[in-house]
Amino acid sequence: MQFDTFLQTLVNGLFIGGVYGLVSIGLTLIYGVMLILNFAHGEFMMLGMYVAFWAFTLGGLDPYVSVVIAAALIFLLGAAIQRGLIQRVLTAHPLNQIVLLLGVSTLLIGLVQFFWTADPRAIHVPYETEVIQVGFLRLSIPRMVAFFASLVTSVALYVFLQYTKTGKAIRAVSQNRDAALLMGIDVKYIYMLTFGLGAAVTAAAGVFLTPTFRILPTIGQSFSVTAFVVVVLGTMGNFIGAFVGGLIIGVVEVFAGYYLGGDVKIIASMTVFILVLLFRPAGLFGRKRA
Amino acid sequence: MSAVKNSASGPKPARGPLGRLWHAIWADWDLMQLAISVLLVVAIGFAPLVIRSPYYLGILILAVLYGYVGISWNIVAGFAGQLLIAHIIFIALGAYTTVVLYTRFNIMPWIGIPASGVVAAGLGLVIALITLRYGLKADYFALFTIALMVALKTLFLKWEFVGAAVGMGLRLNEPSWEKMIFSTKEPYLYIGLALLLAGILVQFWIYRSKLGKYFLALREDEAAAAALGVNTSLYKTLALLIGSAMGGIGGGYYMMYVTFVEPPQVFDLGLNVELVLAAPIIGGLGSLLGPVLGALINKPLAELIRGTLTAGRSGTTLIVYGAFLVASILFMPRGITGLIQDGYLRLKRRLVPEREEEVRRDIA
Repeated sequence: MQFDTFLQTLVNGLFIGGVYGLVSIGLTLIYGVMLILNFAHGEFMMLGMYVAFWAFTLGGLDPYVSVVIAAALIFLLGAAIQRGLIQRVLTAHPLNQIVLLLGVSTLLIGLVQFFWTADPRAIHVPYETEVIQVGFLRLSIPRMVAFFASLVTSVALYVFLQYTKTGKAIRAVSQNRDAALLMGIDVKYIYMLTFGLGAAVTAAAGVFLTPTFRILPTIGQSFSVTAFVVVVLGTMGNFIGAFVGGLIIGVVEVFAGYYLGGDVKIIASMTVFILVLLFRPAGLFGRKRA
Repeated sequence: MSAVKNSASGPKPARGPLGRLWHAIWADWDLMQLAISVLLVVAIGFAPLVIRSPYYLGILILAVLYGYVGISWNIVAGFAGQLLIAHIIFIALGAYTTVVLYTRFNIMPWIGIPASGVVAAGLGLVIALITLRYGLKADYFALFTIALMVALKTLFLKWEFVGAAVGMGLRLNEPSWEKMIFSTKEPYLYIGLALLLAGILVQFWIYRSKLGKYFLALREDEAAAAALGVNTSLYKTLALLIGSAMGGIGGGYYMMYVTFVEPPQVFDLGLNVELVLAAPIIGGLGSLLGPVLGALINKPLAELIRGTLTAGRSGTTLIVYGAFLVASILFMPRGITGLIQDGYLRLKRRLVPEREEEVRRDIA
């Protein structure tokens, strides 16, 4: 592999990895706060993509504009699902939690397929295939925008969690639920807010991908699996770990795609996943074995 | 006679062997579930006398298969409490084993299907050994099985020997018993029923045996079970072995019935929900009757809704199963069997109030 090809592949991997990072931040945030594996995570992304699609098709809105609508809508949906469904199983057997979320995932995919068919959709924006040349690197504009938009969203969420009162409350709940409760934090409200936020940033990540990805009812499933890989790699519940893990998996996938062919690249991330699960289940940023 | 006296069936002594049998069953909820399951199997056995349409028979066959596969998952997840979410890998592997043996080596499914059980159990053993060696528990175990499903799907998509992305099918030109290929639906139904009946009996035997008690101990509190001297690794492995072997056999039968298999179809979380999770969850996970009852209710209902209310639009079955799962977990975590059990206990209490008084006096 030539150096310029190597660099080009690396950049491509980092670009998609940034989006994986944002999706995984949503997942890791939810896990960190309420210790629940959101098996319906990819579906929020898929719904975000459909919102962008309809905003573009019906209202002519550019995805980079409609991302606000998508995030707001999916925030509300996520919050409603948390309050109405997930809150009730937080103390149940983990199997019940997983089955409930798989049920939600199945239901959402079914509803989308029912109303909007299983046909792939696409948004054709004018800048779809535009590239800029930096030295010998060819940077696809929509992919670059997706990366930087994901990065900005992640940083914004990080700042929110670090420096606002609500953000601090979220972190307090994730550190110690009971202590947070005793300090007067409305834990139920924080749960709802966190789930909504996690769903919203995931939907945003989906929207950032719409100029370059086909939209399908089942597209969320593969992203769910990728996000699980990333959060385990970056330590479950670790915010920065999720973003870094996203970048790593993005790069691994793109290089695997280069060497093994596009449709087999997932085997590379699965291998990474299984290896991490086996040899370092606490992830890269974990202190000890889980 | 002592059995009758000990049963909570009231003061009247039972007459004749049938009466005694009935009293024994009535006194024991596990036997009651077994009896209902067997009666359901017998009733389905007579169904072809009434149901002539191949379409409805097909639904019934799938319901029977879902019940059987549900039992195999119920033993691992419902009894032993293991988060084996992607149980579908064993069904998929079983389906592939049967079709590969049949088309590549000319081995008939009567041998191929049991061989599928062995192959799937091999994978189950590997999973058990790996996850135990590295101490993967709970959520991590669940994720591991899903990762394995995705990895296997990719592998099978590329593996020319098993048909790669094209998949594999059976040549259907000559129906014969020997090849387990039939031109009518009835033989498939009876083979499925035989499997289901075997599954029901195995499940009952496990539940009543010491093995089953160890499984329940694992589910309720693994640390406590280990502290009391239960070899948790052994019983986890056994649970996985039994579940995967039964799942593989189910997969072999699934192959013979649907006659075609391809990676995206079987290594799929959607099919996993429909084929594996739905029946035990809706029927009552961890109960004996749950998988059978759940499958017989949800499969026909989903097909009915798809066929009538929504005119076969895609997505309907997903909506139905998704809604079923959500509703079951939220409103009846013990499933339909739980509702029936509540009714049974209430009825029993009403029929024999004096016995209850006695019991209360004894406890006091």
